[in-house]
Amino acid sequence: MVDVALKAEQLAKIYGSRRAGAQVDALSDVSLTLTRGKTFGVVGESGCGKSTLARLLVGLEAPTSGSLAINGEQVHLKAKGDNRTLARKIQLVFQDPFSSLDPRMTVQRALKEILRVHGLHRDDLDGRIRELLSMVGLAARFAERYPHELSGGQAQRVAIARALAVEPEVLVLDEPTSALDVSVRAEIINLLVRIQDELELTYLFISHDLSMVRHISDEIAVMYLGRVVEAGRYDQVFETPLHPYTLALEQAIPVPDPEHERTRKVLSEAPAHVQVAKATAGCPYAPRCPLAEPICGEVAPVLQEKSDGHRVSCHVALRH
Amino acid sequence: MSNPLLSIRDLHVGLPHRRRTDEIVRGVSIDVAPGEKLGIVGESGSGKTLTMLAVVRLLATPPLAVLKGEVMLDGEDLLKVDERRLRAVRGGEIAMVYQDPMSSLNPLLHIGSQIEEALRAHGASSDDAKRRTREVLQQVGLADPERVRTSYPHQLSGGMIQRVMIAMALSTSPRVLIADEPTTALDVTIQRQILELVTSLQAETGMAVLWVTHDLGVVASLVDQVVVMYAGRIVEKASTHRLFERPSHPYTAALLESLPGLGTAHRSALHQIGGTPPDPTRLSAGCPFRLRCSYAIEKCAHEEPELIDRGDGSAAACWRDPAQW
Repeated sequence: MVDVALKAEQLAKIYGSRRAGAQVDALSDVSLTLTRGKTFGVVGESGCGKSTLARLLVGLEAPTSGSLAINGEQVHLKAKGDNRTLARKIQLVFQDPFSSLDPRMTVQRALKEILRVHGLHRDDLDGRIRELLSMVGLAARFAERYPHELSGGQAQRVAIARALAVEPEVLVLDEPTSALDVSVRAEIINLLVRIQDELELTYLFISHDLSMVRHISDEIAVMYLGRVVEAGRYDQVFETPLHPYTLALEQAIPVPDPEHERTRKVLSEAPAHVQVAKATAGCPYAPRCPLAEPICGEVAPVLQEKSDGHRVSCHVALRH
Repeated sequence: MSNPLLSIRDLHVGLPHRRRTDEIVRGVSIDVAPGEKLGIVGESGSGKTLTMLAVVRLLATPPLAVLKGEVMLDGEDLLKVDERRLRAVRGGEIAMVYQDPMSSLNPLLHIGSQIEEALRAHGASSDDAKRRTREVLQQVGLADPERVRTSYPHQLSGGMIQRVMIAMALSTSPRVLIADEPTTALDVTIQRQILELVTSLQAETGMAVLWVTHDLGVVASLVDQVVVMYAGRIVEKASTHRLFERPSHPYTAALLESLPGLGTAHRSALHQIGGTPPDPTRLSAGCPFRLRCSYAIEKCAHEEPELIDRGDGSAAACWRDPAQW
């Protein structure tokens, strides 16, 4: 049987008031199952709801509806107040380490603070800090440093160490390499893979960088305007994409190979500048979709299994 | 190569202090011919943006200053011309598009009036400016150019704004377009469209384009020639094809290897460069990459290499021939 670390069901988040008519469905009916020790990748462009998803999972915001279970235990998601129980199980690493670390706190103080907040300060606090730093590949001397004395890669390591301090089950990584220099991205990715294997951690890896998501994830969900439009094993999603949006995303990846560039160009002419502010009755991707049929404008497709766990939400793809 | 349209020669940019000067751009030379597409690749702190700002004299002076060098536009040294001439060049013969388009527009003015203002500043009559504005907004592929013209920046999406910025840059029919990471703030599918748009416009007008980016993937698809910068210097110059096929500098080679490509095994360890890019104001003697380099030899610690020819129009600032790696 599959060992499930996290199960989210029908998560939805609506911003704005119904009365004012200014509602935004940031997230609609998103269900995810994260297998223990595996990486679940979420890809999508800005505004697709991937960061809202991250914020709901770690309890920074409460969903409008839906449920969350960690290790089979239902978690109560509340809007305000103490979410510490949740924070012990699931931690978030942000994109920009410099804006998520307090510039006036040394690395040591930042780590001590989280341990204290969660009542985890043991006798050998300094030893624990050394241990956390070594886990992320930093020497003990970094404990004395302030964020401005760290490089981008080092600061992100500290942010990861801080997330690991509470020994969480799940780590939500929201674009963890996007703010870093190209030459240090690989080392953060390698570090994440190593820590995962050592600690049997479960990752939710959120990124717009498809080649990174493909590299690190076991399973992938593609999001578009607050919905999951395709999900499956990484090889299913990347080698046999079913949704036209996934296909468009893949074709847009800049590949560092001029030969490949010359042979590309099949389907990149979707009218991307059409911004759909409000979900219409039909498929949210229909206005941009090259395969759209009359039914797509009228009936919204639902996520259904096409083959062997590979799911897609598209009338056309499901028929073929 | 035909006569260069824009020629940057031995450019040095730095921070002068009372007793010493920190050099940040340390002798950069770049030639661009009409119609050429050149990529300038480098990480943050490599000096790529400062070099481009120095070309149009938009460096924050003080504290920064051009210490030495020439920027020749068709034989005219832009570092020596007066303010009046400079205003005609900026946004006229040389147009620029920057990374964060939202902060480049005035939030209180309609898009149309901002483009018209730029055109009028370059001598167009009111009627001509209006006509040209409509024309360029159409040209950059905006679905409803008339609506965009009368919109405020906050009413448009990031992709639309970047198209507007490109329309504005192209409105004066520049001979050189400098695009500094123009697509990093955008989503991949929109990025793709902007890149294709500029390439197709370039084919029509024959302008030279300098793409400044940290993304080798973008470079692969867009440019003919690539310049790789590291710690304020050019470390490799080559045709795009050659650079990807056979990089001649260990830094370029390591960068290419660190990207997860189509052939990279799932979850396998990616090639790490190790270390961090150096602080360009605190360089010691020798090659600035040597501490991160797998091929460094004794000589690298003492002497910084100049660009050495590697054949096929490729050159690298490295003491070691790739054949010896």
